[in-house]
Amino acid sequence: MPGFFKQCSALSMTNLRSLHRRKLISLSMVLSVTLVVVVLLGFLSMANGFRKTLAATGAADVVLVTSQGSFSETTSRLTTEQLHLLQEAPGIARDAKGRPMVSPELLVPVDARRQSDGQAAPLSLRGVGAEALELRPALAISEGRMFTPGTGEIIVGARLAARYQSMQIGDSITFGQSKWTVVGHFTAGGSVFDSEMLADIGQVRALFNRQGQVQSLRVRLGNPADFAAFQTYVEGLDMGLKAATEKDYYSAQSQDLSRIILFIGWPLAVVMAIGAAVGAMTTMYSSVSDRLVEIATQRSIGFSRSAAFVSTLIEALALTVMGCAIGVLIAWLGLDGWSASTRSGASTQLSFELALSVPIIVNAALLALCVGLIGGGLPAFRATRVPLRSAMTGRST
Amino acid sequence: MPNDTDITLTHVTKSYPLGKSRIPIFQDLTMTIPEGDFLAIMGPSGSGKSTILNLIGGIDTVDEGQVAVGHTVLTGMSDAALTQWRAAHIGFVFQFYNLMPMLSAAENVELPLLLTPLSARARQERVRTILDIVGLSERAGHLPSELSGGQQQRVGIARAVAADPKILLCDEPTGDLDRTSADEILDLLQLLNRKLGKTIVMVTHDDSSCRVAKRTLHLDKGKFIQREEELMVCR
Ligand SMILES: Nc1ncnc2c1ncn2[C@@H]1O[C@H](COP(=O)(O)OP(=O)(O)OP(=O)(O)O)[C@@H](O)[C@H]1O
Ligand SMILES: [Mg+2]
Repeated sequence: MPGFFKQCSALSMTNLRSLHRRKLISLSMVLSVTLVVVVLLGFLSMANGFRKTLAATGAADVVLVTSQGSFSETTSRLTTEQLHLLQEAPGIARDAKGRPMVSPELLVPVDARRQSDGQAAPLSLRGVGAEALELRPALAISEGRMFTPGTGEIIVGARLAARYQSMQIGDSITFGQSKWTVVGHFTAGGSVFDSEMLADIGQVRALFNRQGQVQSLRVRLGNPADFAAFQTYVEGLDMGLKAATEKDYYSAQSQDLSRIILFIGWPLAVVMAIGAAVGAMTTMYSSVSDRLVEIATQRSIGFSRSAAFVSTLIEALALTVMGCAIGVLIAWLGLDGWSASTRSGASTQLSFELALSVPIIVNAALLALCVGLIGGGLPAFRATRVPLRSAMTGRST
Repeated sequence: MPNDTDITLTHVTKSYPLGKSRIPIFQDLTMTIPEGDFLAIMGPSGSGKSTILNLIGGIDTVDEGQVAVGHTVLTGMSDAALTQWRAAHIGFVFQFYNLMPMLSAAENVELPLLLTPLSARARQERVRTILDIVGLSERAGHLPSELSGGQQQRVGIARAVAADPKILLCDEPTGDLDRTSADEILDLLQLLNRKLGKTIVMVTHDDSSCRVAKRTLHLDKGKFIQREEELMVCR
């Protein structure tokens, strides 16, 4: 029925053109929707950025072995005997010289000073074996060179070097009693390793007085399909060890934190959306009473109830869409790519970027749409019940 | 056999609720307004003049009895059907003009045409013709706020006749105007009645409207009476 659309579009245009009479209250509706959208986008893009960072970290053919019952590497301990047995496990890839591609690792929390305010912030220094780079294909030296094993040399994530003091190549940096020389910067493809520093595990143990300590063993498999056999072997040792592919390990970690972010973000956004919907309803009711005589006149002329309904709803949706668009724009310009950091399970900082994505924006837009529909629905219904005799008695403004 | 646009009210009873009781407006009112009539209805405030227009225009309903226009019985029709019927058969002229303030004169006149199958071009054409008839071709692009009261009412009348309805219902069309503008409006209505054959029912307080009307009825306490003095004045 083309007549119906003609009616709706005519009345909608008339409504929208009268918006300037209700400037303030309409603007308040737009801004409340904006606020809801920005908050939701903030949380969702945070969770998304975090998930992306951790997802970029995991490889399917690298296995992380920790002692069972430990949530993270830091609370895990592997004995020398366990390390020897683990090297015998099936499926481990070997390098050109026939050595098993494994890296015993040890994370030490250290303090570094931020360039911005000179304050100390906790970072992770990771002691690694000589094969560490082979086990991290995403990691690339962007400047300088790899540390030489057995020396007090250190390489740092390029992202950290830009933000903390004494991390330029050639700088020496002190952590507690230990002194290190920075010889390289690296990038790690947006993974958690981006916010770490790497040094020789022997040196780390010596300088931090952690003789003989290993927290985890990273193992490269010849083939991801070998994981089952490897895991069976590890469990068969019956030493309380746990093997997980890096991918699983980090995605499990990311799930926890993104779930927390979402558990805060969604309810907060929904509560705010309910508030915004109530506000929208007030706005739209006042729009209907502002247009009372106009609506009654249009209906007397012969415009249908449904056109009065739709045109009022469209006014609500137009304001909602405006608010949503402003919100997305603000999030785009202000939030996307923003660095955030968190204290991860390792109690050191992991930095990641807020990442907007289409599904996230769709989510926020749907929430905004609900605000518009709920806020506009009842007032639109009211518009269909305007007593027509008010056209006779009323003055239009 | 009634003509196509004879308006007939048969045994109409209408009351409005007031608290628990009801105030009666009409009791057993029967009247006919024949096609081509120009009826002026006068009477004190609250006597039910607007209510009659609303009943004829299908924007209010009777308690008992029946309202019919031609062969169409309005009583009992659904709101949607009445709305469609109004679009095709009734033009309203209001005391306060009721123009859409943010639409230009031409757009206001075009509004009822959007309810017809006319193409955009045909609508423009028609708007131009009608604005010409009411003498406002020069003001087509003006907003109501840029027009005088008399001019706004002429736009109101142009809008009422745009879709070419047979019946015009006017509620105190000159009530808010000075003498000169009021006379222009009355002349315009007379022209629409005499030249274009519109049936006009006009509620008015304006004594000089009997100059243009074919009949004047006085409404008091729900009954129509014909007053000697009025007949005198107009003859
Ligand atoms: N919706 C309504 N609810 C209650 N009472 C109403 C309603 N509509 C009209 N009335 C009453 O019905 C009576 C007739 O109203 P109506 O508007 O027809 O009078 P009128 O002759 O047009 O008066 P006026 O000259 O002031 O316009 C009035 O007493 C009015 O208060
Ligand atoms: Mg009245």
